[in-house]
This record gives sequence, structure tokens and C-alpha cells, in this order.
Amino acid sequence: MRLHVILRNMGFVLLLNSVFLMIAGIISIVNHETSAFPLFYSSLVALLFGLFPLVFAPPVKDISNKEGLTIVVSSWLISCLIGMLPYILWGGPFTITNAWFESVSGYTTTGSSILSDIEILPRGLLFWRSLTHWIGGMGIVIFVLAILPYMGIAGMVLYRSEVSHHTQEKLRFRTRKAAQILLSIYIGLTLVQTLLMMLGGMGILDALAHSFATIATGGFSTKNASIAYFNSVYIEIVTIVFMILSGIHFGLLYTSVKSGIGNLFRSSIVRVYLGLMLVGTVLVAGQLVEHLDLVWPTAFRQAAFQITSIGTSTGFATADSNFWPPLAKVIIIFFTLQCACAGSTSGGIKVERIILFGKTIGKKMKEILHPHAIINVKIDEKVIDPSVLEMGVLYVSVYLLFVFVSTLLLTAMNVDPMSAFSGSAACMGNVGPGFGIVGSVANFGPLPAAGKWVLSFIMLFGRLEIFGLVIFLSPDTWKSWR
Amino acid sequence: MSLRWKILTGFLLLSLLLAVAGIWSIYHFNFLGGSVQKVMDENYRSVDASITMLEALEREDSAILLYLLKNKDVGHRQLTTADSLFRYGLNQARANITMPEENDLISAIDQTYLQFRKLFSTLLENTGEDTDLDWYFNEAHRTFQDTKLAVRTLMQANDSEMYRQGVQMKDEANRASMPGVVAIIVALFFSLIFSYFVHYFMIRPMLKMINGIETYLKTGSLPKLNVNTQDELGKLAISIQILCSKTDLHRDDQ
Repeated sequence: MRLHVILRNMGFVLLLNSVFLMIAGIISIVNHETSAFPLFYSSLVALLFGLFPLVFAPPVKDISNKEGLTIVVSSWLISCLIGMLPYILWGGPFTITNAWFESVSGYTTTGSSILSDIEILPRGLLFWRSLTHWIGGMGIVIFVLAILPYMGIAGMVLYRSEVSHHTQEKLRFRTRKAAQILLSIYIGLTLVQTLLMMLGGMGILDALAHSFATIATGGFSTKNASIAYFNSVYIEIVTIVFMILSGIHFGLLYTSVKSGIGNLFRSSIVRVYLGLMLVGTVLVAGQLVEHLDLVWPTAFRQAAFQITSIGTSTGFATADSNFWPPLAKVIIIFFTLQCACAGSTSGGIKVERIILFGKTIGKKMKEILHPHAIINVKIDEKVIDPSVLEMGVLYVSVYLLFVFVSTLLLTAMNVDPMSAFSGSAACMGNVGPGFGIVGSVANFGPLPAAGKWVLSFIMLFGRLEIFGLVIFLSPDTWKSWR
Repeated sequence: MSLRWKILTGFLLLSLLLAVAGIWSIYHFNFLGGSVQKVMDENYRSVDASITMLEALEREDSAILLYLLKNKDVGHRQLTTADSLFRYGLNQARANITMPEENDLISAIDQTYLQFRKLFSTLLENTGEDTDLDWYFNEAHRTFQDTKLAVRTLMQANDSEMYRQGVQMKDEANRASMPGVVAIIVALFFSLIFSYFVHYFMIRPMLKMINGIETYLKTGSLPKLNVNTQDELGKLAISIQILCSKTDLHRDDQ
């Protein structure tokens, strides 16, 4: 592996971060805020580390798979480090641990926060916080791939490292075209939602910040009460619609825009995704009516928002689900683990893997009953390769193992089991809120510092689809340096 | 880009970073120093004035008791002195209003003290028939306690303000020192990366060229130098290859 190649490609990512930091800094200057210097200074640091490798190291067109993976993972890590600088420099509640946690939560689009009072932050810093979602949502590398046309084979290697197998399957375009399609959908959805939010009475900064958080399925709000602050059915409906759209494969959205909305529903994955959310909403609403004496419209409104928010790994809140009945909580935990579709900005195990997992179990059971039968697993009439099935089962198992280990570690730090488990599941799935002390209207501030570090690393594992980071950290990867 | 500009770019950016961090730290430390002075001048002065008033009130209270216990000369003198001391403290507090609510607090002290003063003035003018210990406990001491409470409220308000400013100064100190800390860490990492680039893109090509020339001198054949940088070193490698080819041609001609 060649360090200068890795540093050069990371340089592009840092330059991108530098530009966005500068934009947030300008907002701070316009509002005469104390976060202006932290943002500009952080931008300068990113510029130094971004520009210098580009100046020194010449462009390289051939990148190995290991180098590609290292670039992607390192880009994530360095972005999180740069992202924490404005918080540390601003001070307030941001210790090093808290700044790291908030930055990782932003870039991995988790949306868990250590802040008990979000509204004390200057607007520039709030904007930066939301921007980290937006940058992270699309994968920093996709941005760069879409912008730099000359990366060639190098670009393809980076693309394969960044984008999951399921997404690559669906997008039958050349790498650069695929990246540009994903980016155009991403930016398009953000702009449309921003406009609609402004029509609902939100200011431009709030509208942008909430749109960033929605399309990236992140969940950072500019208000302590999250979306509930606005107390607007219109805003909730817009947010629900865009959360649902952000949970669908972007390539599928693109083809639906071109060939009609019916295309969306031809995908069994989308049908399962929407169907499960509808069933979940109805069940939860029923529980709220039965146990909390809510009327059906209110119960349905709260249930629809929370289930969509959790089911797409966004994490916005309009109600405190800590007080919901046990069955409702279990349903929410299911969605925390599953989340939405591959090829979206959502986290979690993903609908496809859950379906594959279920079908693999079904296949095995049939094979036990009919040992000589050849049974294929199909999705949308397409036979799924056994290696893909194996990978899906392995992923689900490892995913749950990570959640379990994290729960154990947090419980060992005297965190109550419900908070430990739900917080671990929420961070691993990049969802955001859990239950207990890390509930939908609470925050992760009260957790011990070591617990925050554990959760921040499982956020990264979740965002990088586990194996990306595992391979990066493996001794074999580091042995190949030259 | 030439070697000179490559190296200069890195140093220029790092210098800019260090300069900005330095200027910002100096600005914030100056601001911090000013804030400390402000807290001492403003809030602590009000606290000091409150302590003076409380001391004066205690003396007045004991003076009243002395007077009631027939030690009229000492009591009278003490009351007069303590009254001057209280009014001195009150004027100090009035001249040092730094918070919006301080005005109201001082007015409250003024009013309750006027009532208290009226009472002990009555005592001084009175022959003592209805100014006995019952009068002291039911009226004088009660008004004394009210005045004391008003003064304590002023003191607590200034204490809280001092605490708030202390927290703010802690944040300011953090904001002053953090850019410096970040600059140091950045400089350390930058120097590591810079050293790597200098080794890989300058020292290594130079070593390749040196080895190449030595091989040429020993064997008469120049190996491929593989120096592809678009700077002076790349040009030097090309020049060496041209020189060696021309030398070979000259040797062949001979």
C-alpha cells in the first residue's frame, strides 16, 4: 500500500470538509457569533492537510482494492477528527469525548447527541452539525467521485469500497454515472424538502438543517424538542414523506422519476419496507389508544412519525416513546435493528438482508425436509447467489454480536440494561435515540465517557457496514505497506 | 509545480495556521485579563459594599441593645458611627450598578433601611417609655432582619454574577488555549507527513539517481531511473539520462 496515494485521495475529502466548514463559518460571521473563529480555524486545518498532499503527490490512476478500502475508511476517520475541531474550539459542553461523539454521530448520520440544550449553540455551529449529516449521508467519497471525472479505475475501486454490494447490483451504470445519479437524487431531495419546509413556516437555516438531517436520515434537529417544536401537521407529513423516500434505494428513485412511480412498487423490497412500516404504525397506534388513552388520529400521527423516523434510521421525535407501552417499544426496537433499504442513506441491517436472512432460514429448513432438492432463493424473480446468502446471514450475526458486546460493555459501566441495549442498537444502526436515559427526547450526555467511545466506534462499524472497518483494522492490511 | 513552491506551500499554510492561532490566543487572553479586572472592579466592589452594610447593621443592632440597657452614650455613639458606615456602603453599591436588577435591589435596601433608621431615631429622641425590649423584638429587630435580607439579596446577586462570569472566563480560557493546542498537534502531524513526502518525493529520487550514476560508472550502463515527478528532480533525472546517452554515443564514436 502506498501512503502518498492514500494521503492524496484523503486530501480531496479534507478539501470538501474545508469548504463546508467555511460556509458554516460565514453563517457565524453574518450572525456575529462566537463560533466564527472555531469554524474558520478548523477550515484552515482541513485546508492544510487537504491541499498539501495534492500539491506534493502526483495523481495516480491505479489503486488497489486495499488502498481503496483504506482511503474510504481513513476518509471517514479523518473527517470525524476534523469535524470535532469546531466543537472543541468553541468549548461549552464539548469535552474531547463529547466533541468526538457528536462529530462521529454527525458523519455516520446517527443523530445521537450529548447536548442537553441544543439551542444554546450558535447558528453557525448548528449548521455545521447538520452539514456533517449531509456530508456523511452520501458518503464522502461519492461526492468526490461525482466531482472528479478523471479518477478512472481509481474511482471504481473507491466506489466498490464505499457503496454496498446491494447498491452496486441495482445501479447498472458506469461508476461515475452511478455516483452522479446518486448525488443528483440526494441534492434534489434536499432542495425540494427545504422549499416545502420553508412553505410550512420554517426559517431558511432551520429548513436546510432539517432537510440535511432528513435526507441523510441523520436526525440532528436545531431544536431541543426536535420536530415536535414546530407543532405542525404539515411539517410532520413533509418530514415523513421525505424520510420514507430517503429510505429507498436512490437508483430506484431515479428510475421511478424517469419511468413512473409504479416502478417503485414493482420492487418487492420496497413493498416489504413500506408494508412493515404500515403494519408497525397501526400496531403502535393501537397500543397508544389502548394504554395511553389517546384518540386514534393523535395516536396514528405519533405512531406514524416515530415508526417512520426509527424505521428509516432518521431519529427525529414528536413524542417521548419512553412512556409508550412495552409492545410499542419492542416494535420500535425491531425497526431500530432493521431500518430501511440498501442504496439509501439509512443504516441498520437493511430490509434486503432481513429478507435474505429469513429466506435463507426457509431454504435450510426445506433442505432438511427435502435433502435432495435444489432450492433457490429469489428476490424479484432473480436467483440470489449462495455466497450472497452466506454473506447476508454472516452480516446479521456479526451485527447482532456487535450490539450484544456493546450492551455488555455499557452495562459493565453501570448503565441500565434497557438504555445499554437500545443505545447500542440505535448507534449500531445509526438510528439515534433509544430508550431509558438515551430516549427520544433525552440525550447521550449522562453516559460515562468510556461508554461514549464504545458507542462512537460501533457507529463507525455500522456506517461502514462492519467488514469495511474490520478489514481496515486487520493486521493483514497493515502488513502490505510499502 | 516546482520543489520550491511545494515546500513553500506547506510552510506557508502551517505558518498561517500558527499565526492565526497565536493572534487569537493573545486576543482571548487579553480579554480574559480584562474580564478578571472587571469582575474585581465591579462585582466584588458590590460584594464588599454589602459586607460593609451588613457590618454596619450588626453594629446598629447591638447599639440599640446597648442603648436599651441604659448604656446610652456608647449606644448613641455607636449608632451614629454605624449609620455613617451603612450609608457609605450604600453609596458605594449605588455607584457600582453593573446588573439590570441591581437598581431595584438597592432601592429595596434603601427603603427598608429608612424604616429601620426611623425606628432607632425614635429611640434616640424618646425618653424610653415605649421603647423597651418588647419594642426591640417586635419592631426594631424585625426591621433590622428585613434590611439584612435585602443586603444579602444584593450580595447573592453579585455572587451569582461573579460565578457566571467565572464560568464564562473558564470558557474564554478554553477558547484562548485550544487553538494553540490544536496548532501544536497539527504541526506535529504535519511535520510527520511533510517528512514522509520529503523522503518519498525528494530523498528517494535523489538516492535513485545517485545509485544510477554509480552503476553507470561501474558498468557503463545506466538503469531506468523511474523519477517521474514534474519538478526539478524529474528534470535532473532526464538530464542525467541525456548526459549518459551522449557520453555513450561519444564513447562509441571514439
